[in-house]
Amino acid sequence: MTSRRIWRDILVALSMLVACAVWIDAAGADETCNSPYVTKLIKGQEDYVYVWTLGVDGMGDGSDKLVTVDVNPKSKTYGKLLNAVSVGSRDEAHHMGFTDDRRYLWAGGLAESKIHVFDIATDPAKPKLVKTIGDMADKTGYLGPHTYYALPGRMLVQALSNAKDKGGVTGMAVYNNKGDFIAAYPMPTEGGGDGYGYDLAVNPKKNLLLTSSFTGYTNYMRPLGDVVKDAEAMKRFGNTMVAWDLKAMKPKKIFAVPGAPLEIRWSLKTGDNWAITAAALTSKLWLIKPDSRGEWQAKEVATIGDPAKIPLPVDISITRDGKGLWVNTFMDGTTRYFDLGNPEAPKETYTKVTGKQVNMISQSWDGKRLYITSSLLANWDKAGADNEQFLRAFTWDGKELKPAFEVDFTKEQLGRAHHMKLGARALTSP
Amino acid sequence: MRRAAAVLALACLAGAAPALGHEDSTPPLEFEPPAVGTYTLHRIVAAPDGEVLDLDGHPHRLRRVTAERITVLGLIYTTCVDPDGCPLALRVFDALEPVLRATPRLRNAVQLVTLSFDPEHDTPAAMRGYAGRRARPDPGGVPWHFLTTRSVRALSPILDGLGQDIRSTARAGAPGRVRELSHVLKVFLIDRAGFVREIYSSAFLHPRTVLNDIDTLLLAP
Repeated sequence: MTSRRIWRDILVALSMLVACAVWIDAAGADETCNSPYVTKLIKGQEDYVYVWTLGVDGMGDGSDKLVTVDVNPKSKTYGKLLNAVSVGSRDEAHHMGFTDDRRYLWAGGLAESKIHVFDIATDPAKPKLVKTIGDMADKTGYLGPHTYYALPGRMLVQALSNAKDKGGVTGMAVYNNKGDFIAAYPMPTEGGGDGYGYDLAVNPKKNLLLTSSFTGYTNYMRPLGDVVKDAEAMKRFGNTMVAWDLKAMKPKKIFAVPGAPLEIRWSLKTGDNWAITAAALTSKLWLIKPDSRGEWQAKEVATIGDPAKIPLPVDISITRDGKGLWVNTFMDGTTRYFDLGNPEAPKETYTKVTGKQVNMISQSWDGKRLYITSSLLANWDKAGADNEQFLRAFTWDGKELKPAFEVDFTKEQLGRAHHMKLGARALTSP
Repeated sequence: MRRAAAVLALACLAGAAPALGHEDSTPPLEFEPPAVGTYTLHRIVAAPDGEVLDLDGHPHRLRRVTAERITVLGLIYTTCVDPDGCPLALRVFDALEPVLRATPRLRNAVQLVTLSFDPEHDTPAAMRGYAGRRARPDPGGVPWHFLTTRSVRALSPILDGLGQDIRSTARAGAPGRVRELSHVLKVFLIDRAGFVREIYSSAFLHPRTVLNDIDTLLLAP
């Protein structure tokens, strides 16, 4: 079956599903979207982009790997591959997160639920695998470690699934920075909760943790074409967000946010007190903000592209001043910019096709440089000529995205390019 | 002043006041902490051991110091000027001290420790100057230990164990080359068994959160 035909079938199936469903993945990327407890932000020129890359059978050693690309325009190796650290196995490499001191990068796999810890401080150009944590399923019953969110001295890990039925009911695990398990917290299944999980985002001043919801192992490890043809499977996607008391790690309020709300971004502007997310299936932006009584509410505030065409918003990246939001839509390979001058009514002001399929988007602190990768999940990526695998860099002058360089991950025999994090020598040099 | 602070503190602990009042200059807390005893402070990591020096230069084992009581430990360096860094830790400790002193169950169970991570500059004498009147023995008060180490070598295992990352840089805009120790503010709550039970960053380091946690620890050690 050709890639075009597969995707036509998928579009038809999706358009017939009214109430629930969605796929998608994405990630918490970039310099404006790190945990607020990661305080060593790169506010100048970044030197490296780390790309957590899914292994592909027959491509190189076929294993997942952490790839380092030189992104400093003043470097002689600008735009070139610098290093690739293989973890020696293939585990549906997905997302990453810095520890609070930014000395280590935790990167996980959704298939075997392993968490790999890389030392990025000793030699930022050449990360070193120093530990692999493999006890999450045993300790918690959860599968599919997805989001890695630094807390002081700890890492909060949001899982996607569970070991019992491999569905979407899951929870969070807390490890200390040494990799020792501390505690587990189930996602709420009562009071409107569906028990699903996806992303994490903290507003420390308000002691508020927001979580979103996606789907479980049985869906994300299954070929997407099969999932969308299975009406029961399509019901097993998240439709909620949860506001938690971070200190107590207890749910405070559950919001109905239909269509798999994925990435969550708090505005970083001083005085702002809101977060935004994108619901993948419904192609909507949602604002999470207190009402006039101080009660947290979730509100649909904008449409992304034409929902009838299922553009599938996968990753979002907020500008540091909270005034703009980049949105990548996987299906049409489009990068979109929303003006958030009024977060109650975001306006799409710019679009550009940046690939046959695009997933993650990360921006530098000043917003002048954007990085885009291509892969969603091994079984969900497009096929044939549409299965581009790349890291593409762009410059942004406020009006136009201009290509800067590209690394072809297929040509380089690396794999499927997924989550990105930025690195800099100055963070660790004496 | 101490009496007024104590009254306010007790009211605060009873949930009747929004924050510690008096002349405390800590930033306002923008959320209502969960009630004492309604949440769990997990054992995050074992607090490290190492040799430390008191204000007279006498050596002690850090673990023996922290084993005495529930310990609120702040890592600082005396020349730090970042308002969200070491000075904030000192302000919070200054706000905590009269509350602890005025509350019998806390006065006998809690101590404060201020430990320098700049042994090259922060000698015992320098720490004595930094401590000022806070270092004077007070039979009715809460112990407040000001500690340093002999060397970076002696300090390193303590910092590693606590996960405190320090990097030496030159202070931007300062005349000449002024050394700055770039770090993330961390204050540690350590139980009597020697486990770190909370790590506060500047975002939620506040007397109310610390007092809540201490009382929670007293209820469920």
